[in-house]
This record gives sequence, C-alpha cells and structure tokens, in this order.
Amino acid sequence: MVGASLAGIFGTAVPRAGWAQASFGGTRRLASPLLEQQWRVLSRLGYGPSPALLQSVQASDPRAWALSQIDAAHAASQAAARVPAELQSMAAPLPELFDGVKREREARASAPGKNPPDASAEEKAARPYDFSAPAQARYFVREQKQKAAAWQLAACSQPGLENPLLARMGEFWFNHFNVYSGKNVVGAYVGHYTLHVARAHALGKFEDLLLASARHPAMLIYLDQAQSVAAGTPGRQGQPRGLNENYARELMELHTLGVDGGYTQAEVRALARILTGWTLDPKHPSGFRFASRSHDGGPKTLLGQAFGNRLVGGGESEGLDALRMLARHPSTAQRICQRIAEFFVADQPPPALVQRLRQTFLTTQGDIRMVMRSLVESPEFWNPEHRLFKTPRDFACAALTAVQSTGDQQTWATTAGFLATAGQPLHGWQTPDGYKTDAATWLVPEALTRRVDFAIKLGQGGPPLDYLLPYLSAETQATLVQAPVGLRAGLLLGSPDFMSK
Amino acid sequence: MPFDSHPFSISRRSLLGQLALAGSAWAAPAAWGQSGRAANPDGRLVLVFLRGAYDGLSALVPYADRNYYQLRPNIAIAAPDGSAQTALALDSTFALHPALSPLLPLWQQGVLAVLPAAGSPDPTRSHFDAQHHWELGSPRKSSASQGWMNHLASLKAPRSDSGADKPGALGVGEANPFILAGPAPVQRVPRGQAATQKGALNNERTRDSVLKLYGGEDSLSQAFRAGAQSRAQTAQTLNENDMGAMPMMAGDRQEMLAANNGAPPARGLLLDAQYLGTLMRQNRRLRLGFLSAGGWDTHANQGASTGTLANNLASLAQALLQLRQDFSQPHDVVVVCSEFGRTSAENGTRGTDHGRGNALWLMGNKVQGGRWHGQWTGLAPGDLNEGRDLPVHHDFRGVLAQVLKASQGLNLTELEALFPGLVWDRDLDELMRTA
Repeated sequence: MVGASLAGIFGTAVPRAGWAQASFGGTRRLASPLLEQQWRVLSRLGYGPSPALLQSVQASDPRAWALSQIDAAHAASQAAARVPAELQSMAAPLPELFDGVKREREARASAPGKNPPDASAEEKAARPYDFSAPAQARYFVREQKQKAAAWQLAACSQPGLENPLLARMGEFWFNHFNVYSGKNVVGAYVGHYTLHVARAHALGKFEDLLLASARHPAMLIYLDQAQSVAAGTPGRQGQPRGLNENYARELMELHTLGVDGGYTQAEVRALARILTGWTLDPKHPSGFRFASRSHDGGPKTLLGQAFGNRLVGGGESEGLDALRMLARHPSTAQRICQRIAEFFVADQPPPALVQRLRQTFLTTQGDIRMVMRSLVESPEFWNPEHRLFKTPRDFACAALTAVQSTGDQQTWATTAGFLATAGQPLHGWQTPDGYKTDAATWLVPEALTRRVDFAIKLGQGGPPLDYLLPYLSAETQATLVQAPVGLRAGLLLGSPDFMSK
Repeated sequence: MPFDSHPFSISRRSLLGQLALAGSAWAAPAAWGQSGRAANPDGRLVLVFLRGAYDGLSALVPYADRNYYQLRPNIAIAAPDGSAQTALALDSTFALHPALSPLLPLWQQGVLAVLPAAGSPDPTRSHFDAQHHWELGSPRKSSASQGWMNHLASLKAPRSDSGADKPGALGVGEANPFILAGPAPVQRVPRGQAATQKGALNNERTRDSVLKLYGGEDSLSQAFRAGAQSRAQTAQTLNENDMGAMPMMAGDRQEMLAANNGAPPARGLLLDAQYLGTLMRQNRRLRLGFLSAGGWDTHANQGASTGTLANNLASLAQALLQLRQDFSQPHDVVVVCSEFGRTSAENGTRGTDHGRGNALWLMGNKVQGGRWHGQWTGLAPGDLNEGRDLPVHHDFRGVLAQVLKASQGLNLTELEALFPGLVWDRDLDELMRTA
C-alpha cells in the first residue's frame, strides 16, 4: 500500500482530536506583549506587516495607532480608489459597463460557438490576468471579473495603494453583502460594486451601505430583484410576470435581521411585494430605477408596519422605508456586531463584547466607524487568548504584503489559482451567505500543505524577510536560521506562526 | 487493505440484546431481527448534496397530475410522448426529465429508486439553516461541531490501534463541508489538477525544513503532518490512475483560472466523482464519500426540457453514471439529495422559490430500485404544505437510517447516536433489499 512508505516520511501518527480547536497553534510566545499587539493590529486591521507598516506601528502605541487607522481608512473611503491604470475599466461608470455587456451579447450572437477558431482568444485564455491588450468584445465580462479580482489582490497587499483597514472592511462588507461573479453577468459589475458599495460605505452608516447594495446592478441581478414585479405585470412578449422572493428573503435572513430575527414567510412575500419595481437602468449613472408600472401598490404588513395603499407616499418610498426599518432593527445590530466580532476578534467572540458593539451600533444609528472604535477600545480585541486562524485569503494577502508584491500578471494568476484551489476564490462564493471565516472551516490538513506551496513559490529568489523574525516563536526562528538562505523567505511565509492573525 | 475485520460484530450482538429489552420503547420492525448476522454488510456510502435546493419537480415529473401543468405553465416538463423534448415515463405517475435519460437504464435494472417527497421536519426556508440540519443529522439548533458523516466515520473506524488514525471518509471538491467536520480523520481533496500535484514537499530539502517547522505536538503541526501524508498519497494514487493526465482536466484547469472561480459547479461534479471513485477504489479503508454541487437555486428562468436546470441535470446524470461504475459492490449506496424542495408553482420570473419536500434518489444494488417509495399525495391545492410546497412525507433521517442499516449494518443505538430523535420510518421498510 502507498500509505506505509509515506508514513515514515511524514513522521508521527496523527491524533484523533479535532484540528480546529481554539488551541490550533499553542499560544504564540514572543519576546514581549508589545510585539504580539503589533502583529495582531496589523494582521486584523489589515493583512499583516510590510516594512513600512511595521515602522509606522512601531512609532506609536498600538491602540492609538489602531484608532488613527480607523480615521485614516474613513478618510480614504471618501476619496476615489487609486485603481492601477491597467485595471481602470473595472471602475468605469455603470452605463459603460452595461454597454460592454450589451456588446458582448451582440458579439456572441453574431459569432456563436463556445470556442471560436480565434488564436488570439485562446492565447488570452491561457494568460489570465494579462490586461496588456485591449479586451475583445466577447470576453468583456471575463475581463471585468479578472480586473476586479486583481484589484482585490492589489488592495489587500499594497498598503501604499490602499489603506489596509479599508481593504479589510471592504472584504468584510463584500462578504456580508455577497454577490457571485460567476452568475449571469454579475461579473461585469463586481468591480464597481466593490468600490461604490463595500468600499465607499465601509466606515459610514450601515443604512447607506444597505441601500447602496440594494440598488446596485450586481445585487439586483445576483438575487433576481431586477426581475421581480407585481403579479400580472406584462413581460417583454406580453406574458404576465410576477414576484420573485429571492432578494427579499436574503435581505432579511442575511443582510439585516438574521434567520432568527423575527420574520415569517408571509413577511418575505410582503417585502418582495414592497420592493417590486426596483430594477436596472442601463442608462442612469446609478444603474438603478424604480419602475412604478411594475410596482405592487397593494397593502402589505412588514414587522407590524403597514405599507402601500396610502394617499401620500407609496411607490419607491415603500422600499426605502422598509430598508431603513430593517437597518435600524435591534436584530440587525445584533447580527452585524456578532459578525464584526467574529471577523476581528475570535471565532466565538465574548457575548459582552458583542453587546457593547451592539449598544454603539444602536446609539449611533449604525455608524460603522464608531462601532470599530468601540471594538479597538475593548480589552477583548487585545486579549491574546482570542486567536484567529488566517483564511486562505488572509494568508495570501499577508504573504504578498510581506514580500512587498507590486502586482503583475503572474502574481495575480498564481494567487487567484491558489485561492480557487483553497476553496476561497475571489468574488467566487456562489451563495449569498458569503465565506465563513473560522478555523473550523479553513484548518484542513491537505490544504495547509498547499499554503506552503504558495509560500515557497512566492519566496523563491527573494530576500529572507528577516525583518519579521521578532514576530515568530523562538522555535521557528531557530529552524529558519538553519535553513538554506534561498528557502528562508518561503519557509517563513509557510510557517505555523504566519498562519495566525 | 480490505475492510475485512468485523469491528461491529460485538456491538451488533449487543444491539440485538438491547432490542429485545427496549422493544416496547422503540417499535422495532421485523426486518431488524432478520438482518443477516453472517453477512456483515460492508457497503460504501456516497452522499451527493445538491446545494441550493434542486427542483425535484423537474427531475421527477408527476406528469399524470393536471395540477402540475396548471402550477407551472412555462416551466413544466412536457408529459411523455416519446419525443426528445418530453419526459420519460417511469410508471403511470412519474416520468424522468429528458436530461436524466442516461439514468433510465439504471431504473430499469432496478438499482435506482426515488422518494418523491422527503425532507427535514424543520420548516425553515433558509438554505443555510436547512443545509446545517442535513449535515448535522438533526433539525434542531445545535452548536455541535461534528457533522454526521464524520460521526459515522468514527463509528466505523477499526477499533484496533493500527489504523485508528487513518481517514475512513473522503470529501472531494469543497474545502471543508460541515458534514465531514469533527474529530474523526477525514481526507479532503480539492477539485481539479491541484489534487494530482505533490507540491513543494516533494522536494526533499524543502520537506525536511518544513517538517521541522511543523514538528510540534500542537494541533496545527499535527494537522499539517497528516495533510502532508494524505496529500502525497492522494497525488500518487491519482497519478498512478492517469487522473493527472486526463485531457478534460487540463481544459477545466484553464477554464478555472480564466473564470477565476472554479469549474462550472455541476460539471465539476463529474470530475469530483472520478477522483472519489479512484481514491476509494485504491484505498479500501475509505468507506464514506461526500460530493456536492451548487447552482441549483433556480429562482429565475430555470428553463424546462432545456435550459439552465436541464444542463445541471445532465451533468448530474453523468456524475451518477460515473459513480455507478465505481460503486457497484453489493452493499454500496449512493444518495442524492438537497436541503429542501422548491415551490410547486413557478414564480413570476419563470423560476421557483424555496419550498419543503423534495425528491431524494438512491442508487445501488441493495436499493429496491425501479420504483418510487413512500407517500405521494399529489399537487392538489389542499394537499400542499402552506398551500405552496410539497409536504415532507419522510424525514431524511428515516431514509438514511434505512440505508445505513442495510448497507453498513449499523445498529439502532448507533443510528440514534447519529441522528438524535430518529424515528424509524416503517413505511420505508421496503426501500432496501433484505436478501
């Protein structure tokens, strides 16, 4: 049998206990608590140290630095993102993106067939993330999708390009309001969505974020809201169309109240009816319009509140009122703060912390910046017992940051390929719940060895990254200094110490 | 290594004793007493989970029910008339979606069966809660961190010291599905060419250094060493069986990179099935397999005899045929299911919304195939759950209990541990062959 010979190579037998217990790596023992705090703050409010980031955090008290980062990230969110020139088209105005989708459709209709006899197209498929040549009309969506993914990698690994906390918050909110770039033509709009929904409102009011996601073409298409109309509304060929519950359900279950937040199936339908008429507008800069002809103006009840059939209002304001009501609901505050605490503190965060964040959320009417301040001002955030295991994306972004990657075709393709194999492709989670972020999901034996592949590849030929040595355990340091110099960077990035944040 | 030791023989004997004692508390069907003591079932179980709730009313078409066509004016599958665009009659009640036609011979051979209306007793219409219930094996809220297939793997683990640490279950595709999560060691293999590559650890110098880094007794280091061993074995097995060189793999790899988010879900299922079959054939210690595919949440424009859903069903049929090749030992069983069903009526966008009961498929020589099992009450308005969905006539745990008893020889104590609150479903006592 194969197993017998391999057992010898890989050493001792494996215990039967679960891998992903809280103690996945033992307590990190560094020379001082300050070093631990610096690693923590850089790895959680960003994607880990680069030489410049280390300098910046070392020049300050970690707590003060964290608070200043929140303000810096908020300020950065108010300015346009510095999207590299070669990725710029992902940030194009929505009407241009709609136009690109239309041209792709026309190109495909005029030359049908999945793989046209076009050498340049095949060559292009073989070189993903190469944006040097202008995109062909028939590959518009794919090109946009890849540019959006490349931007994510650039944003999470180039602190000079994007504020690391803003990149982190962007990841968090994208995942909370997840869209799947592989569904329909969502991929054409996913880059715009990352910038103008997740990033623009990352540290603003939750209500504004919710509304921005609700009206964005990526979400309107992904959860079918664009098609949901009052029952009996005539369709394009005159046949009656009607309601689609998809968005209304996920809006309450995932985006706001939570599955136990206190709503019924009847209320899912009521909310779907309230939102009828919320659809796409390919010509408008917002990509959104309210189509009053397909709105169901009849009476509905949602969470005890009456909607529709009023003399004043109705129409689009029904949906606005409903979204506002959901955004301000205590169940929503609970759910959002629970997820923030899980993302930034621990897989099972202390209830007292969640309670404190919830209080801030409610008293500030969902001011995310204030919630983040509460978070870093909480002792729980700094408690070394509260450990987090890096997701594949955390790991890849941190490794790129550590080697000061500047982003190129090869890096993007390799990293995107690694994330796809690891089960966390960029913008690639099919269902609206978003990726899980806990150790129980990501601490998987075979997958750990693939992290090492990525690390070794990335570290090849580079300097040994000795600036990170103080942030590693004594055992790891001892192993590294004995290792061949050319391997050291890769081994450091692939070390157990590098897997926690 | 063959699965030749009989780790259950003792517990089986004590089970029979317990049954006699606990007879009143738990109405044991006659079949329990008859199950052959001599022939210890050694079947392998493969579960194929269609995430997102597939539309069972398109796969298993109740063509004789007029309500079906009234409820679904645009998306119903046309009643059988022998032409390609219509359903394939199974009997006077049901027909098969034309995209599933490759499965018809299996039905005719009597190794494919279906329950038209199975599901979870919990009424949630949340994908995520419902999937969690299925994977936990219990429709209750729970913070338990063990999925039922992991639990089953620990029940089936050889009781000897040697091999107690070897995986008895295999998952291909998903990073870490909850159904496999827990303390029992499980082999998890990624989709596509990555699984065939030995990686940096194949280099001796690199391996030595890396294993020094992960030399500790903490759980991360232990997991790493297990992973290194498992991975090398996976790659070796797949390469020895030419899986690394399959031309389809190369194409899909390219597509994966180009699309940057994995192979098309249902098509990926065929690749996953090929890996699963090869790895479980080469390593007989692996008795449990898990596969999944997404893309079934068809709220809009799902199509009918052709279209999105039909394409997914065609891919599913290919994957099941592949599994049939590799899992045709006397007690092997393949189960195909979703977290819930979809609305009986089409919605306003030519799709279907979240429902309740759904068709659940079983494939294997031990399955009483060529017929459907359990209750079917039709689609008349008064017979629908909340006026809109197929009701759940059979708890999924009752179905799985039948399967596990017949294919793996699990006793009642084990089944109840696996599925807390299990009620034996006597209506399904003919689901599996007893001979």
